[in-house]
Amino acid sequence: MTFISRRDLLMRAAAIGAVGRPFQGRHADGDRADPRDDLGDSEGVALPSREPQAREPLEHLTAEEADLLDAVVARLIPADANGPGAREAHAAHYIDRALGGALAASRPAYASGLAALDRYSRSSRGKKFTELAPIDQDSVLIDVETGAATGFAGGSAAFFALVLNHTHQGTFGDPYYGGNANFVGWDLIGYPGIRTMVTAADQQKLERNELKTNHKSAYDYESFVKSSARAGDAHEGGSPRRSSRAGAKAGA
Amino acid sequence: MTDSAHGAEQEAQAIVVTSRSIAAGGTIPRDYTADGRNISPPLTWSGVPPTARQLALVVEDPDAGNPPPFVHWILCNIPPTAGGVPEAISIDPAGPMPREIAGAIQGVSGFRRPIYRGPAPPPGRPHHYHFIVYAFDADLGLKPGLSRADLAAAMRGHVIGQGELVAIYERKAP
Repeated sequence: MTFISRRDLLMRAAAIGAVGRPFQGRHADGDRADPRDDLGDSEGVALPSREPQAREPLEHLTAEEADLLDAVVARLIPADANGPGAREAHAAHYIDRALGGALAASRPAYASGLAALDRYSRSSRGKKFTELAPIDQDSVLIDVETGAATGFAGGSAAFFALVLNHTHQGTFGDPYYGGNANFVGWDLIGYPGIRTMVTAADQQKLERNELKTNHKSAYDYESFVKSSARAGDAHEGGSPRRSSRAGAKAGA
Repeated sequence: MTDSAHGAEQEAQAIVVTSRSIAAGGTIPRDYTADGRNISPPLTWSGVPPTARQLALVVEDPDAGNPPPFVHWILCNIPPTAGGVPEAISIDPAGPMPREIAGAIQGVSGFRRPIYRGPAPPPGRPHHYHFIVYAFDADLGLKPGLSRADLAAAMRGHVIGQGELVAIYERKAP
């Protein structure tokens, strides 16, 4: 059971992939880890998640909210034979960070929605959502998606749509924003990476599905940083903050 | 179906539909609703005509839907030898069907998914849920993901047996 088809992945990623800010992300000291360190073998298949994963410091969600949200995104785009999913992309981390910036208006919805989800899971299935088996988590999420779940302000379907949208952003957006960790989202859909120039040879390789990903954020390009994000973008340690105009693009 | 969509051209033989978990006219237990585990209930039936080639099960609520009824489950291509369906058919569409209904396929419900989803009515009054079993005199060539309208069109003139179990469910206002 999945909540998104591969076709949907491709369509949504096409809309999200170009969103960007200077990537300095989690490897702020410039010592970026080899992306393949988390990506398994060179064939790019069957990429099991590492458990337990270290979680980045939370910025806006409580630990309980973050655990619950991480469990949700892991079912919305699960890791499977196609590769890692939203959990491995750190989509929950993206959302946590963005709730202090571009997605700040959604913070109350997350507080009430996650609380409602946990209540609904306990009342209908007798356990916390995080303690349910994956197939039972899917069943709960289907009820939330279809509006059949009770106890959600404004209806469960609206909350589901909100989280799914942000999970797409966190999985397939530019890694600069805290998601798409190690470019797993782009690798999942075969997106070859941001390029400032595409040669005829590149185009031919792309058409033959032979163009290798470059694992570059838009903001790995100096010119892009200078022109669109560096000015007024005050952040420390490479962690993107929420005050710049580029930050507002995260929710696009 | 709870309307005349099947367009029966002949008198259909009565099929008796029962459940060890749901009493006729009674309240559907929470486990088979969105207020509980939302698993499919066990059903049994008898009286299938010996000439039946296929069976189908439709669960629908004529008290909801725009237009009514609201469809909760479509299970088709059930072998005519099946005497019912076990509880908790997997919600994984890729999962295998239980042995007794091997080859069965699911259609899309009002929840837009090809799986069972139980009652989740708005608060206010009891809704009636019809668990309807049909017997057909031919292989209708039905495909996974079919709609209720697809089924209604395909079964026209082929219904040789029919029966239903009706139960209710109500949500109270918070």
